[in-house]
This record gives sequence, structure tokens and C-alpha cells, in this order.
Amino acid sequence: MNRRGFLKAAAGGLVVLIGAGVGVYSQVPVIPNRPEPDPETALGWISYADGRYRLTLPRAEMGQNIATGLKQIACAELGADWDTVEVGFHDTTAPAVKATVGSESIMLFAEPLAQACASLRDAIDQGRDLGEVTLVTRPVSELRSLQKGGLIGASPGIEQGMGIVTGQPLYAADVTRPDMLYGRVLHAPASVEVGSRPLRWNTAAAQAVPGFVALVEDTGPSIGQSEGLGIVATRPGALDAIAQALAVEWQIDGDHARADVMSAIDVDTHLAGGALRHTVRDDDPAPGRWDVDLRIDVPLAAHGPIEPRAAVAEWADGTLRVWAGTQDAFYVRDVLSSAFGLDPDAVVVQTARNGGAFGGRVICTVEAEAAALARAVGTPVKIQWTRAQEFALGYHRPPASHRVKARIVDGKLTDWNHAQVSSHIFFTSGVVPQWMQRATDRFAGDDGVARGMAAPYQVGRAKVSYDVVRLPVHTASWRGLGAGPNALAIESAMDEAGLAAGVDPLDFRLAHIDDPLLAGVLNRVAELSSWGAVSGEGQNGVRQGRGIAAGVYKKTSYAAAVADVSVDRRGNVQVDRMWCVHDCGLVMNPDQVRAQCEGNLVWGLGMILTDDLPLADGHVVAETFGDAPIPSSTQVPPMVIDLLESDRPPQGAGETAIVAGPGAIANAVRAATGIRPQRFPITRASLVL
Amino acid sequence: MILNGQVQDIPEEWANEPLLYLLREHFDLKGAKFGCGVGICGACTVIVDGIATRSCITNAGDVEGAEVRTIEGLANDDVLHPVQQAWLDQSVPQCGYCQAGQIMSAVALLEQTPRPTEDDVDAAMDGNLCRCGTYGRIRAAIMQASETVR
Repeated sequence: MNRRGFLKAAAGGLVVLIGAGVGVYSQVPVIPNRPEPDPETALGWISYADGRYRLTLPRAEMGQNIATGLKQIACAELGADWDTVEVGFHDTTAPAVKATVGSESIMLFAEPLAQACASLRDAIDQGRDLGEVTLVTRPVSELRSLQKGGLIGASPGIEQGMGIVTGQPLYAADVTRPDMLYGRVLHAPASVEVGSRPLRWNTAAAQAVPGFVALVEDTGPSIGQSEGLGIVATRPGALDAIAQALAVEWQIDGDHARADVMSAIDVDTHLAGGALRHTVRDDDPAPGRWDVDLRIDVPLAAHGPIEPRAAVAEWADGTLRVWAGTQDAFYVRDVLSSAFGLDPDAVVVQTARNGGAFGGRVICTVEAEAAALARAVGTPVKIQWTRAQEFALGYHRPPASHRVKARIVDGKLTDWNHAQVSSHIFFTSGVVPQWMQRATDRFAGDDGVARGMAAPYQVGRAKVSYDVVRLPVHTASWRGLGAGPNALAIESAMDEAGLAAGVDPLDFRLAHIDDPLLAGVLNRVAELSSWGAVSGEGQNGVRQGRGIAAGVYKKTSYAAAVADVSVDRRGNVQVDRMWCVHDCGLVMNPDQVRAQCEGNLVWGLGMILTDDLPLADGHVVAETFGDAPIPSSTQVPPMVIDLLESDRPPQGAGETAIVAGPGAIANAVRAATGIRPQRFPITRASLVL
Repeated sequence: MILNGQVQDIPEEWANEPLLYLLREHFDLKGAKFGCGVGICGACTVIVDGIATRSCITNAGDVEGAEVRTIEGLANDDVLHPVQQAWLDQSVPQCGYCQAGQIMSAVALLEQTPRPTEDDVDAAMDGNLCRCGTYGRIRAAIMQASETVR
């Protein structure tokens, strides 16, 4: 379509329905390609010309400030001045990399980058200034950037910091293209796992809204089973009015069988029906009475990044260019090429800074919507999801229902039984279609749900088992995957076990640890916080308590935390102070590792006090942060963070402290009130005097 | 309106749009962000006649004749505003998306209350959400900036 002709017609209100008829999209999922980084590939990340270097960041920048960390490594290895290295974000013409997930960006990418930079440095030292660099790998001990000193272990100003504080365009929604229009794809208020589609709508009323350009029926691949109706306008503010005027009547194929989500995952109901299907540990605990028998439930929770996801799509001569804030540009590229029948080389996805991701941006959604609408109207289209769409159409932390039992003999754990029912993380319904779910769910567990479910303590004969249930809402990766809620369940049970044994919570943990690194973070946080009971009643019936917790993330990264809380008569919990000690081996940038600890502690506070995503009839009804709150400034206490640097290569830092913060707060509430929090987020009613 | 010190016309077709979109899409000032659309999160905060204002729920036409300041207008040539400088010194931003709104709320606070108490900071800033959890650093940066502003 001729763009100018189209726009002229649109202004006259003549062009209404474009791309009539819903497209047929493959129900075979695109499998993510996850190449591990290696030094050879890393040569493609760094280049040199005229005394300046360019580092093409192989990771998504989403607030972990990995641009700063990898730039430190590049500068240290190259021996280059900070200002001579320019950092750019990758697009999909760069060497393919795996998704930015799992706190791997220093752990897995530091050495390949260092090797590539060392080889580039050698080439420059030899007087070369043109051509390709040959990789000569060397022992890690000869890589300057993997030894402490200079920029390694320093905290330079953060990359893009100036752009952030001066309001420069850094995010996908900040992209503007010539003749760009604004789009939205409307969906039924229904479960995304129940078929739904637009049935009737009021075209004339929509056309009458100033700024209206087009309705688009072919909106690209569905989201789950939900087929949308696209609208395009000349101004973003017109989209609300157009949506309202359209008054779409939706066809919805009935109810979801497990619309009552918390009942569907009730661990006791499942256990009454027999053993859970997937086993993490199976040592056959002895039968008999349990000293601890705890039920712990956490609900669905949204990621809640402040930036609703956004994309700009532009078609030109059969090629598609998309700007997106995504954790996996190559996967988005592959999905787009499959959905729109393009050669992968005909699609270029340019990454932008993510306005918060937290595991929530690893699949392709808004990018395909923007591509479909831009194709239909023949001019670039920007889509930014509304907050309500983020809740309704995104995927979320799965709810989880835990039953943890422990037996103690002479102050030591002898038997342990931890059962959990949750929903999928790795095999998310957001990617795995229903026909494939039926095939895979019979035998496949989900390592994301199981992450961190094996307690990091010597718990005796242990059975650790879980099951996963398909839900009407999409669930998948959320900061730390299952590790956060699993650690909360474990740390709650450890605390009760210590109480049952009559042993101090710190001493009880230390008595069940054979890993010196775990003992190290616990001892240090105890020292920092001057560990000791602070329970008691203050003025006006305010109950005060202190709690401790610790954990290991992905078997290599350690954290321990202490929290002090006050609980007033009405049951309001205020976290007064937190301490956290983290050991992730060699630290490139202590300030930013601390920042990740701070963030994880706030996420831990959210897990205990705020995070929930209300549903009705199997679909998300939350529309605002009022309905699905996240921690606010006044809820967050002063924090003391300390880093231990064991003599190890760098490990992950972005998710670790989420295994310690929640348990510390929950245990502090227990210490303050005598009431064990079992359903999260904690309600006032459960703690009222 | 006076936008960052310059007199600007509000085109008729944008008068019924949220001020946020007038700023972002018409004037190409991308600092203020869309976060929630209902004035809860504060990512869209700009300063209108000295008051921190949620631009996502402010009608563009309603700022006719008003003085509107956005984060792009804070620095004086190459010299950052003390609040911007404090944000860099404290390495406040993680993802950074909420920070323009946080900074504008902080600037408005310090203009009205150059020596804020903890309660003043709570009252001014509790409506600006940050999912990354940078609240402690925001507080430290405001206190640093208040020293400079004095």
C-alpha cells in the first residue's frame, strides 16, 4: 500500500478495515536457540578503529547495569581509558547469544570477553590497525580483567547514567520513526488459555474518534488462545477512546477447568491423591510424628516493571525491523521470522534498555503485535502495552503451595519432607501450545519450579517432590524462578524446627551446614546485625521481632539476611531494618552487586507484604498498581549490605539475595507475634491483636 | 505554554491528549515515561507551575498558559542540576525507567522545602514507584542534593 495515499484516505475516514480475516499462525512453537558464549564469538563484540573501541553489548541491559560491568572488563583487559570505549546495544545482526537470564552475564560472559579483548590488545600492540583478529586463548590467570585491581573491583559511574538523568531516549517506547502511528491489540477479558476472539464491534463509533486510522483483524500470533483486534491511531491518547467506542463483543469458549487457581494447586489435595510426580530428593523419611508440619502458600505475582513492554515495527522492501526492550532479541527475531514467513536475515531486532525485566521479557508478544499492525497499515507502528495488558497478557510468577515437614531428634534434623504444587516456568503455556502440553506434561517436570527446592542444610532423610498444573493464566520466569518461594518455605520450616528444638535460629542453621561458604555469609550477617533476639512489645502494642535466613542460588552464589520488623495492633507490618551478606566470588563492581542485593531485598519484602495478582473466573482482573501493588518507598527500610569475596571466579548476583530476604522478614514476623505467616502476602487480619 | 523556558503552542489536535503524550510524541521530549496511565506510579511526573504533576492524567489543553518543566530542561547547558548530579553520584538508577519521574518529584520537593525532613521526603516521594528497589539511594541522593541546594 502506498503510505501517503493511505494516510490521506485515513484522514478522510475512508480506510477502516485492513488485513481483514484472521491470519493462520503456526501452532508449533519456535524453540529458543541458546548458544553458550565463547571467546571466538566474543571477537564479534569488540572492535577498534582510530584509537577508539566499540563494545557491542552481548547482553540485554535491564538495570543490572551489565553495560558498566562488561565495559569495566573490556577497559581493564584492553588497557583502554574509560572514555575511549563506546558501548552499543546489540541487534540481531550481531553474533547470536542466549537470553539474558539466570544471573549469567558476568559468570559466563566475563571470560570470553576478556579473551577477545586480550587478543585484540595483542594485535594492536603488534602495530596492526586493520583486519580480523585471531584469537589466542590464554589461562585465566593471565587475563588482567579477571584479577582484582584497577577497574576490577571498582565502581565507575554507570553507563547510560547521564542519559537517564537527562531524559535521553533509551527505551523501546522512546523510539520514533518517520510517519509512525500508534497501535494496540485489544483482547477479551478472559483467560488467555481459553479460546476467545472478537465477534462484533461498532466500526462507525470508532471511526468518529479523532485520530482514528484503522482497525486490523490480522494481529499476528495469538497470545495463548486469545485472538485480538487491532486499532491504529495518529496519537496514542486516541487509543483508549477508540477502544471504548468500538465496544467489542467477544466470543469466549467457556470457562477454564482450573479457574480457581489456588484450589487447583492445593498441595494437600494433591497429596491426598497420592505421591507427587516429580522428585528432587527421595531418601525415604522414616514414618512417625512430625515436629514441624507447615503449609506455605504464595500467590501469582506480576513482575510489575514500571515500563510496560513496548515495540516499534517498521517494514521496508519485505524486511522487518523491530525495536524492543527484550531479554532475548534472537528469540524474538526467530518468532517474527516464523510468524511472518520471513528469512531470519530479513528480520532485525534492535535491543533497547529494558525498563525492568526480572525474567518477564523472554518471549515474543508486543513485538509481533507491532509487526502485524505495521504490516497492515504500511507505516511504522509503536505499541506500548497498557498497565492492564501487562497484567492480563503477560506471564507471571506461578502460585505455589508447599507442605514442609521436619523431625528433630536431640536438636538435629533427622527427617524432612517437602512437597510443592505449582505451575510451569520453563515449559510455560506462553510458548508451549495446548496440543504439545498434553504430550509433554505426562512425563516432564519443570526445573524452574524445582530450582532451590533441595534445602542447603543437612536435613537428614529427605523427600523433596513437586508437581506442576496448567493454569488459566500464563506463568513463567520471575526473578529467581522457584528459588525465592522455595527458600521461603524452607527457611520458614527451618525456623520452626529451631523453635521446636529450643535452639537459637542462627545456631540451629549453623549446626546443619556443611558448606563453609554458607556458614560464612550467616556468620557475617550475624556479626553485622549484632545477632540476638530483639522480640518484645514496644509502645502502643507494637510487637517487635528479628528474623534470619540464608540460602544458595544455583548452587554457587550465597546470601544471608537479617530483618527487624514492627507489627502494630492492627496487624500492619513495618520492616525497620535489613542486613544482607552476599558471596558471589570475584566482584567486578561492588556498588552494582550491592544494588542487586538492595533490589532483591525489596523483592523479598514484596513477596512477604505486597505481591499478589487478583483473578476472577480464571482471568487477571488487576488493572493498576492499586490492584497489584509493589513495595513503595515508605515500606522499604534502611539496609546494610556487605560482600564477602571468596576466592572463586565470579558467580551470579542478580537473583541471589531473593533466597534470603523473604525468609528473614517472615521469621521476624513470627518472632514478633508468635504467629507463623503461612499465606503470602501477609494480611493485616492474620496478625491483628 | 512555557515549556522548559520556551513559549510553545499546543496544537489543537493534541489539546485533548494527556500532557504526557504531547510532551513525548509531539515535542519529542522522551524523559517523562508512561508507566500506569492513572497517576499511581509517578513515572510521568513533570513540574507544572512549580508543582510535581502526573502528566499521564493531565489534559494537555489544561496547561495552556502554564510553565511546564521536564527533565530535559533541568540542566543548565552542560551543568547538571544538583538533583541530577546527586543521582549520578549515588548511582541511583538500575533500569532507570522511573528515575525521570523520581528526579522531577525530588526537584519540586527541594524547591518547596530545601531542607526536607524524612517525613517531607516520605510525603513527596511515596507516590513514585520503583520496581528495581532503588528507594534507599533515592533518599540518599535527595539528602545530598539538599546540601548542595542550600
